Amino acid sequence: MINEIIATLIEIFSSNSMQIPLIQPLVDYLMEIPLLNILVALILWRPFFAVVIMPGLIVLMLYLLYIVWFERKLTARIQWRVGPLEVARPIRGAIQALADGLRYFFQEAIVHRDAHRPYFVQLPILAFIPILLPIAFIPAGNAVGIKTPYAIQLIVAFLALIPITIIAIGWASNNRFAFVGSVREALMYVAYEIPFIIAVISMIYLYGSGDPYVAVEKQSLLPGAILNPIAFLVFLITMLMATSRLPFEIPEADQEIAFGPFVEYSGMLFGLVMVLAYEKLYIMALLFVILFLGGWNGIYCDLLGDLNAPLWLFIKTIVVISILAIVRSMYARYRIDQTLRYSFSWLIAFSIVALVVGVVAGWIV
Amino acid sequence: MEIKIDVPVEPPKELETLFLPIPKDYVEDVYKKDDFLILVGPQHPGSGHMRLIVRVKGDIIQEVIPDPGYVHRSMEKLAENRLYIQNIPLVERPAIMDSANFNLGYVRAIETALDIEVPERAKFIRTILAELCRIGTHLYDAAILAVFLGHTTGFMYPFGIRELICEALARMTGARFTSSFIIPGGVRRDVDERTLRWVYDATFAIERRLKSFERIFIKNPTVIARLREVGVLSKDEAILYGVVGPFLRASGVEYDTRIVEPYEAYEEVTWDIVTADEGDGYARFLVRVNEVSQSLGIIRQCITSMPEGRYVSEQICDDVKGNFFDAYGNLVLPAGEYTTLTEAARGTLLFTIVSDGESNVPYRVRIVTPGWLYLRGFMESLKGERLADLQAIYGSFGYFPPEADR
Repeated sequence: MINEIIATLIEIFSSNSMQIPLIQPLVDYLMEIPLLNILVALILWRPFFAVVIMPGLIVLMLYLLYIVWFERKLTARIQWRVGPLEVARPIRGAIQALADGLRYFFQEAIVHRDAHRPYFVQLPILAFIPILLPIAFIPAGNAVGIKTPYAIQLIVAFLALIPITIIAIGWASNNRFAFVGSVREALMYVAYEIPFIIAVISMIYLYGSGDPYVAVEKQSLLPGAILNPIAFLVFLITMLMATSRLPFEIPEADQEIAFGPFVEYSGMLFGLVMVLAYEKLYIMALLFVILFLGGWNGIYCDLLGDLNAPLWLFIKTIVVISILAIVRSMYARYRIDQTLRYSFSWLIAFSIVALVVGVVAGWIV
Repeated sequence: MEIKIDVPVEPPKELETLFLPIPKDYVEDVYKKDDFLILVGPQHPGSGHMRLIVRVKGDIIQEVIPDPGYVHRSMEKLAENRLYIQNIPLVERPAIMDSANFNLGYVRAIETALDIEVPERAKFIRTILAELCRIGTHLYDAAILAVFLGHTTGFMYPFGIRELICEALARMTGARFTSSFIIPGGVRRDVDERTLRWVYDATFAIERRLKSFERIFIKNPTVIARLREVGVLSKDEAILYGVVGPFLRASGVEYDTRIVEPYEAYEEVTWDIVTADEGDGYARFLVRVNEVSQSLGIIRQCITSMPEGRYVSEQICDDVKGNFFDAYGNLVLPAGEYTTLTEAARGTLLFTIVSDGESNVPYRVRIVTPGWLYLRGFMESLKGERLADLQAIYGSFGYFPPEADR
């Protein structure tokens, strides 16, 4: 009975598995071993591989370890400092983020008396849902969780849910700084969401479909950044606003409102909310690469087979994020009213121009 | 359009327990009129401990009541129980970055009392020290301003540049700051040619590094957007509220104690008085940035035209080395009141020593620091601005609570 179920499962998994010639001998060898073979088949099953391994959860965790270290190191180099070094000196403190994470894990997570206890504890974990859901829809070549022609629209819709959890976090904290922070987050949300959605719609017009496969295929000659440079710029700026990176680090301004909505968190819960913006940045950067930088298009290597597409997508995403990390050491913080004025005048105007460009270009292409 | 909703608002109970220096009915009045009281501080992530009681309507600041005194160290009372010479390390403490200027002000008061003629070489060395400390203070304030605006690179660069100032002070005096190097009648030790050469070279290194600071922070569009037309003090307002120093000059008033009542070597070097007309946060910042380059010029001129001669006056003793306590231990000032004005980095600094003419400790020492003088103007400039601008204006004034509280 169990053997039959396992055999059926292996058959389901193997019928749709990643073909990677480089590790094929190893896979063949492991498939001979009972019980281990179902694990290997599961890992190589395309939907599972896309959601859990790459560009999904495991790569997301590796990215988090990398980006926190890289951002600190880069900022330090620009500022005539050394940066993280003492944790694992031979690799220049590269596991600093892991050490910090461990510290958060063993620190007491204090829930203060005024907090709305259930929401205060649940919301950092609930906030992961709108971050993990888009991963199911982001394809990387053959590796895809759920294949749908409306993937881009769905990703944008899930991204729009994240600020709601942050506002709820601020409300549950019941602290005046957290309250000011969540009001600022709500204002920022209004400021960036409209130009962001218009920029994405302009690209959907350009490609004629919300299907990432169509988008990537149409970029085989020219990347989207050249086809519609204005939408590219609008997306880039709204990406900075949405992830509260520095010129727009307004909801979390630590000199003004002491980390805003997250002021009351400590321990593991703080570790969870701290990486929220980085995770959002990862999802947005994946969307950015698919829409503007040709997605998983790249030099095809025969040995890697199906792994080519996820790898190229990941490399491009990491490069984009690493370049974005530099703004933290370049800019001061804008005021909220300046940002709103800027967003409702220039950014919306630019996004409408981008929409016109998108419609015209889509008509030509 | 303003929509009025009649919601009965009770002043929070916690406001009664916070020992606010305001009348009780003021709090009730605020809450009746749909305003709020926000307490900024005393644990402020800025440059010291001070509480600001901010009355806001929405996001607009209506009134700010300062509650200083959290770092009050009773300098004036402490000074009454020490020998005149022992007070020198004490009076430096209000603003440790600006120690030479504070030291100079106090020592000059003693020199006026005893009618001591300071040798030329000592005057030049004192000027170099004062200007080095001025640059250091301006850099420190620029760094604090940068971190208030969330610009961490703008915070690190001035501190990196200030290391050169500290090194120059350490080579000249032996301490990175609070060196107590200036004594009545001159300076503690002579400064040799090699050290002066090093300081001269360091001024060029500072200038080079300031260029990269200018690229990343001073001309940064986000910084200009945050500071321009924020916290404006017009010329008349600045005079009315008694603002001093670079902040007065930023409002277009040409007043500098170094020009009006020249002391030390300021008459013998050429330099320009830096002013601006706007009177906003950016002007206040730019005036101090330009003052740094003027100070660098003064230091270079002092070093190139440094006269030979004694470093401490003959009226005190032949040589301080070895008989410092003999020379200064029994210093008694003639009865009277002696006042000096000094241009410290943040503005006019007043020292008054009252002596009874028979004891070897001062009867009274009065210190009025620039921070205390421009506090009123600082509070007035906040009116009508947004709450998020409070930090920007705070930084643009370079307000330093330990200095104001003494």
